[in-house]
Amino acid sequence: MNIRVSLSVIACKFCRAALRMLGRGGTDLPGRVALKLCPGVLETLAKTVTTIIVTGTNGKTTTARMIEQALADSGISYFANRSGANLLSGVTAEFAMHSSVSGKCKYDYAVIEADEAAFKAIGRMVDARAVVVTNVFSDQLDRYGEIGLTVENIRIGISHCKNAVLCLNADDSLSGSLAEGLENPVVFYGVDGPIYKSRVEENSDAPYCRVCRHPYTYDYVTYGHLGGYRCENCGAARPVPQVSVKEVLISDGERSEVVMTADGKDYPTTIALPGGYNIYNACSAMACGKALGLDMEVVAKALSSFSCGFGRMEKFDIDGVSLRMILIKNPAGCNQVLNFLTQIQEPFTFAVCLTDHTQDGKDVSWIWDVDMERLVAMGDTLGKVLISGSRADDMAVRFKYAGLPSEKLVVVRDYAELTRACIAEGRPCYIMPTYTAMLDLRASISKNYGFKAFWK
Amino acid sequence: MELKICHLYRDVMNLSGDRGNVTCMVKRLNWRGIDVFTAGVGVGQSLSASAFDLFFIGNGQPFTQPLLLEDAAQKSAELRAAAEDGAVILGICGGYQLLGRTYEENGEIFEGLGLLDVHTKCAATRLVGDYAFTCEDPETTVVGFENHNGRTYLGEGVRPLGKTVQGHGNNGEDRTEGARYKNVFASYAHGCLLGKNPVLCDHILQTALIRKYGTAELLPLDDAQELAAHRYMENRLMK
Repeated sequence: MNIRVSLSVIACKFCRAALRMLGRGGTDLPGRVALKLCPGVLETLAKTVTTIIVTGTNGKTTTARMIEQALADSGISYFANRSGANLLSGVTAEFAMHSSVSGKCKYDYAVIEADEAAFKAIGRMVDARAVVVTNVFSDQLDRYGEIGLTVENIRIGISHCKNAVLCLNADDSLSGSLAEGLENPVVFYGVDGPIYKSRVEENSDAPYCRVCRHPYTYDYVTYGHLGGYRCENCGAARPVPQVSVKEVLISDGERSEVVMTADGKDYPTTIALPGGYNIYNACSAMACGKALGLDMEVVAKALSSFSCGFGRMEKFDIDGVSLRMILIKNPAGCNQVLNFLTQIQEPFTFAVCLTDHTQDGKDVSWIWDVDMERLVAMGDTLGKVLISGSRADDMAVRFKYAGLPSEKLVVVRDYAELTRACIAEGRPCYIMPTYTAMLDLRASISKNYGFKAFWK
Repeated sequence: MELKICHLYRDVMNLSGDRGNVTCMVKRLNWRGIDVFTAGVGVGQSLSASAFDLFFIGNGQPFTQPLLLEDAAQKSAELRAAAEDGAVILGICGGYQLLGRTYEENGEIFEGLGLLDVHTKCAATRLVGDYAFTCEDPETTVVGFENHNGRTYLGEGVRPLGKTVQGHGNNGEDRTEGARYKNVFASYAHGCLLGKNPVLCDHILQTALIRKYGTAELLPLDDAQELAAHRYMENRLMK
């Protein structure tokens, strides 16, 4: 037993308890305290548990939730950094909270969602069994500089994970390159055909071959730069996936039904969350199941019963009105929400909350890169558009220039009032908040309508 | 009346929401009953510069992407002639740097389109954040978001677009922001720039209309929404 590790764990637990008594989440500070007292604490604690790391730009939380359910249904004990604390301090805190004072983890597995930049550090301290990379898109450029850096951060993180099976997105030319030059076993996963009937217009983050810079040819595009890509000049191409979505049978406002295939066996699967991008998340969770050697029938089944993360298509029923909260963090994610919304037939209310805190990305320019025009073109199916958040005015300008009639556009500053206004419309409502807006809006809904707080 | 807008390198210079500037110009013309024709001219596509009244280039992935520079070398004479002839051109961030004479990175010098006598040097740190600058022509305050590791220095005959009040601007040293030469406008401001700076947008449109038709009276529009967004950022920055 290491006294320093014990002290660090005790301090972390104490700090968390104190913050929770004050009614705060305490997802970050306890971890910082733990690391201060013992910089090697994460390394020591992680040695006593099998860790799965989920990283990438979009879909981390949902994928982690799916993997959690697969573990639970496989009868494996685990813990996860559920409250979205995905930086080094937050991850450290979660390990400490789930360990005994003697520095031993009380669970067999840890499902850790790691921010791409933080993964660089976390990968060094945690000997992961599996690393799942969801995708790489241009995200919060003010923080990362440029997209190449995101890929490099993940590459460095992975280089530390010598014993991990890598689960990589075969359809993503950016993250697909991460296995190059490494001896790690790889499970590629992907979708074998288009997933949307029609798609919004979006920029490609990777139009050119990463080997020879020739433009890629696509046999099909699922969304963004994802799909069946190949380079006609040098022959670089989408790797053949070991786990794939062979067919999308139904993808509606409530769920998707798909046929997945792995090792020559088909798995008809219901995915309990709507949205084409969740088909990818489900597929990456299946790949993780394969990497861990789980019973694939059990993993496929888990996808129909997992519960989503906060704000990830999360549904609230209030006064007979269904509200779905769909977190957006970047243009790629937002475009996928728009792809989802533009398939809806039944008239709905739409709300969007735009904020620019550090966690949201301080630059809101991306709102001009997303195809709001397509949403506006839905005509009467799109009811009122309610806009909130500190940068509401910018979003209102965006919708004005997207051609939204002024009588449909309402700016509501206060979140409680926003929720009331959404409910008053009486139609199903989709709320699209940025990260901090999601936390605040969710807190307001929990308080006024009695839903769980985000850390519970 | 009609304006023909060329969105140059829409295929590769497409980061940071800058294409919103084209949306803004098109809408503000349409709302006044002025027709607009827009075409994207990308890498490998031929450009007949005299067919257009207004050119736009946005920000993109790293400036030194080889395909782009090769193509720019072929288009540069045509575009330079258009600029000298008074064609209206707006370049943002990477597009601004591309309009310049040279770009220097790790001791290597790359040739830009050469419409503006400006030189950009790539530095290790990025200049990032919301910022504001004042313009004299048109007289207005502009708010936007900058994010660049280039430091741009203006040569002879090139005026700055404005003077920074908050933030870094061209190089973080001399308080200049952007560039003006004849009817070429360039800025580091994303936002998108024209969305919440309608005075600047109308000035650019008016310049293009005057060049084409000799005169242009732009009907006033209800800019309450745009000005609210402008004021919010201006107030936040000036606090």
